[in-house]
Amino acid sequence: MDRRTFLKSATGAGVLAASSGLAMPALSQGAAAKTLRFVPQANLANFDPIWGTQYVVRNAAALVWDTLYGIDSKFQPQRQMVEGEEVSSDGLTWTFKLRSGLKFHDGTPVLAKDVVQSLKRWQARDPMGLMIKAIENELVAVDDRSWKWSLKQPYPKMLLALAKNNAPCSFIMPERIAKTDPFTQITEYVGSGPMKFARAEWVPGAKAVFEKFADYVPRSEKADWLAGGKNMLLDRIEWVIMPDPATASAALQNGEVDWWETPLSDLVPVLKANKNLNVDIGDPLGNIGAFRMNHLFPPFDNVKVRRAVLTALNQEDYMRSIVGDDDKLWKALPSFFTPGTPLYTEEGGDILKQRNVAAAKKLLAESGYKGEPVVCVVAQDMSATKAMGDVTAELLKSIGMNVDFVATDWGTVGSRRASKSPPGQGGWSMFHTWHAGADCINPSSYTAIRANADKAWFGWPNVPAVETEVTNWFNAKDVAEEKAAMARLNKAAMEEVVYAPTGFYLGYQAWRKNVTGVTSGPLPFFWGVSKA
Amino acid sequence: MLAFIVRRIITTIPVMAFVALFVFSLLYIAPGDPAAVIAGDQASPADVEKIRLSLGLDRPYLVRFAEWSFRVLQGDLGTSIFTSLPVTQLIAQRIEPTLSLMVLTLIFAVTIAVPMGVIAAWKAGTWIDRSAMAFAVLGFSVPVFVVGYLLAYVFALKLDWLPVQGYTPLSEGFWPWLRNLILPAVTLGLVYIALIARITRATMLEVLQQDYVRTAQAKGVGQREVLFLHALKNAAVPIVTIIGIGIALLIGGAVVTESVFAIPGLGRLTVDAILRRDYPVIQGVVLMFSLVYVLVNLVIDLTYTLVDPRIRY
Repeated sequence: MDRRTFLKSATGAGVLAASSGLAMPALSQGAAAKTLRFVPQANLANFDPIWGTQYVVRNAAALVWDTLYGIDSKFQPQRQMVEGEEVSSDGLTWTFKLRSGLKFHDGTPVLAKDVVQSLKRWQARDPMGLMIKAIENELVAVDDRSWKWSLKQPYPKMLLALAKNNAPCSFIMPERIAKTDPFTQITEYVGSGPMKFARAEWVPGAKAVFEKFADYVPRSEKADWLAGGKNMLLDRIEWVIMPDPATASAALQNGEVDWWETPLSDLVPVLKANKNLNVDIGDPLGNIGAFRMNHLFPPFDNVKVRRAVLTALNQEDYMRSIVGDDDKLWKALPSFFTPGTPLYTEEGGDILKQRNVAAAKKLLAESGYKGEPVVCVVAQDMSATKAMGDVTAELLKSIGMNVDFVATDWGTVGSRRASKSPPGQGGWSMFHTWHAGADCINPSSYTAIRANADKAWFGWPNVPAVETEVTNWFNAKDVAEEKAAMARLNKAAMEEVVYAPTGFYLGYQAWRKNVTGVTSGPLPFFWGVSKA
Repeated sequence: MLAFIVRRIITTIPVMAFVALFVFSLLYIAPGDPAAVIAGDQASPADVEKIRLSLGLDRPYLVRFAEWSFRVLQGDLGTSIFTSLPVTQLIAQRIEPTLSLMVLTLIFAVTIAVPMGVIAAWKAGTWIDRSAMAFAVLGFSVPVFVVGYLLAYVFALKLDWLPVQGYTPLSEGFWPWLRNLILPAVTLGLVYIALIARITRATMLEVLQQDYVRTAQAKGVGQREVLFLHALKNAAVPIVTIIGIGIALLIGGAVVTESVFAIPGLGRLTVDAILRRDYPVIQGVVLMFSLVYVLVNLVIDLTYTLVDPRIRY
């Protein structure tokens, strides 16, 4: 017996003997192996995937609620709860049928009326849902397993809308729960997904627990992202919320948790050096760094000023400030779309390929810029926005712009960016953010690319050419038409600088070697994951 | 005595009312919008506005304050904007870890700090005194999170004696409970030890110069008896005071310690609520901490009568 073992056993035995709690945790080795401890990207503060569209809520919801269709790794919608669908020859009437034997966690069968009500609640909050609602004649249950959706005009992206993994996903809930107003939070968490939510054990900010749903009927196909058979090999999944990355890193190394979704890049070398851990890319679709300029007020109401900033921008500076020296983690992005995806285009992106400070200064002089202060609102509590904000401040100064750097927190940015007041009166000129690559593979859920003035995302760009191409993409009949629309869209958005992409970056995930089946994807997929 | 207690309890009412008004007003004027956080980053401005309306955040300040105050008077601290759970339930979920951490820290700190301060005063000017005071300065100077990481690295990662993080309820056994709290309590306790040890030393130095101490020594009373029965008892009032004041320090320190050791306590609840602008939770927790602080002061005042019979209310 070595010194360490002796000390551990002696200390443990001594205190145990003196304590009243001789009973150690009742988990047997088998049970422990069926319990996975997972550190998610953020706190699960609420659990209504329609009311709150944060990614962490979507990720947890994918365990509890099932979807009619699921997107696979080739970005194709595949049947999930649905057995089959028929679309009329004019494309105006869709009829769907549920698989048999589907049950909610409360034991009741999943019926068409549940689907209809769930879709109505989802429609009110989802951009694609709203589009369908705008052209809808009726959405009704035909019988217990079938429902009909009749439209005033064809909607070719119907299956994508029902399968997409962008929040809010069209999760199916019991009718009584789905009747909740979409702007009010549900209080009952009953789904038909592979895991049940253990509400009694939920401590928001600390822990969320999911237990295997014995009556779940997985599809027979192989699991592929949100598509295929969601076979659960674990009995229990515990989400352990750890706001401190150093603590999460130590807990993973110590075996107190099994899987960490988003390790901080600074800590990755330590994790890679640990022989008990696997470290690999988490989400292959990564993130697009961005800063948005306020198109309503000077100086960024002038496209020449916006283009001047883009001309002086060096994406490598931004990306290195976020991910450090790891070249596997970033790519230059002369585009608004996610690289490596089928519709990716760099059309019109030359302005981002070569930094040219002299040309930027010239453009700025031509714009008539009069030294108006640029109110640059930067959240300091998010490592990515803080890093990008520092780079931007230097960039603006380098071309002679007057920077009013407002260091604040993300909560403040969240409210201030909604203000349409002039920058000097509580408004803003620019703020930094990022977009999940999964949201940027096409225009379907890409709120940030929209340029429909008052209805657009913060910054309120008004570029009719962009909107035309978004419509063209939605109406495209084949991939070739989609690609053509995307190319024109990218060019128009780049010319008018809808926003400034600062590059594409990835992040790692880390898990212990006794855990198998972990895959890369836009969200953590727990089906097929097991623990020895 | 009873009249004093009743009088003190009555005086807490205006104090609490002022705290309530202050906290509510501060949050009202503070920037930030919970609706924006709830809606998520991809939400449209229109959706954010609808959520704001559904939460009643568009209503005037006075209406919101009146409603909240009325509910608080009925013992209802409101409902969390984010979790839709009652604030009292959220506090109840988190109170055991924080209370456990604070009690353990207090026991650990007082057990070490008081003897340390007494011995340092007794051996004033010697290497023992200097070492004790150097330790106290170190305890003050090194930030809590640095000590926390250091202890976790050595005792959890390297030696594998204790867990890095988490909390096990006392109902699951004493040792599992204690095991999770040793490192956090030591981390949080170091500052507290430094504070109490310095005050104890300074007070004891003063008391040890008193005539009755010299008389006791001249009568041949043992050194231990002189120090702990004669001198320490007379030095107790400032020490008890600093222990009480230190509870506020513990509340502040618990926020950092709970984050470093991922303890699901009130400190983390507060930080999370502030970052998300969960107003009812912030208001509820601050109000509760204020009440605790007022009551701790009352208990300290009452303790004076136990350690010094000359004090009567």
